[in-house]
Amino acid sequence: MQDISLHLLDIIENSVRAAAKNIKVRVIKDHKQNLLRVIVEDDGVGMDTGTLEMAQNPFYSSKEKRAKKVGLGIPLFKQNAELANGCFNMTSEPGFGTVLTADFELDHIDRMPLGNLKDTLLGVIIGHPDVDYQITLLSREKGREQSFHFSTAAIKEELGDIPLTYPDVIEYIDQSLQEGIQNTNMEVV
Amino acid sequence: MKTLADLKKIREKAQEEMKLRGSSVRIKIVVGMGTSGIAMGAREVMKTFLEEISNRNLTDVIVTQTGEKGLSSLEPVVDLIEEDKPKVTYGNMTPDKVKKVVVEHIVNGRIVSDYVVATGN
Repeated sequence: MQDISLHLLDIIENSVRAAAKNIKVRVIKDHKQNLLRVIVEDDGVGMDTGTLEMAQNPFYSSKEKRAKKVGLGIPLFKQNAELANGCFNMTSEPGFGTVLTADFELDHIDRMPLGNLKDTLLGVIIGHPDVDYQITLLSREKGREQSFHFSTAAIKEELGDIPLTYPDVIEYIDQSLQEGIQNTNMEVV
Repeated sequence: MKTLADLKKIREKAQEEMKLRGSSVRIKIVVGMGTSGIAMGAREVMKTFLEEISNRNLTDVIVTQTGEKGLSSLEPVVDLIEEDKPKVTYGNMTPDKVKKVVVEHIVNGRIVSDYVVATGN
């Protein structure tokens, strides 16, 4: 993975596969604390303590029927956070869901770029129309706080039976996310 | 700023169109979005499908994302599912190949056999 937005996509796909119906995504950029934090919270099936630990092992996969038992998504994300002097944490409760937090030191030389958040979010929103997303982008810089909130439930309610893949809807979501990313000064590569 | 009022307009327009053309989904596109797919560029493949749908105003096509299914060496992998036809799986996809599949397969109904890696279930 070349950037954080691709890891984020991977993690959200995990949540979807864990049958999540609600996914909260938060990206926080705090210059004063020199912190870049990504949080993904879902209400999927969750994991017990053993599985939670195993999920951070590259030679573990939750896909039981598969011959090739590797699962690199979470271990690589963890490694990349730790390379940037950050930390990685997952907590989970079977039946209730999972919360994953990845912290990066914002100005660390090895901190991977945030990448294209918009394409990640647009893809997961349209690609999983049954999942409701609450997205928050927050940036604190020079004593100023900028935030952007985006909730897909209200959009779907307004659209009724019009699918999210309807051309004008794609454009609407694309532009909304674009504005939010610009207003919160989340870097785009 | 985009507001919910904009959505209301979109809904009204879409409902008018549906009255004329019906609301059936002709083709379902499924983009493989597992870890290996993402690492090989599946997000850009997804993005290109969305752009093409938007630019060409394709209202009878839907796109979804799914996990891996054991074709890692052929990622990014895309399934095209049409009613009453065998599923077509395209492999090693790129944004340029997506554009060709949209024109040939989705708009003109001709399978792009050069990119096909599997058919049927």
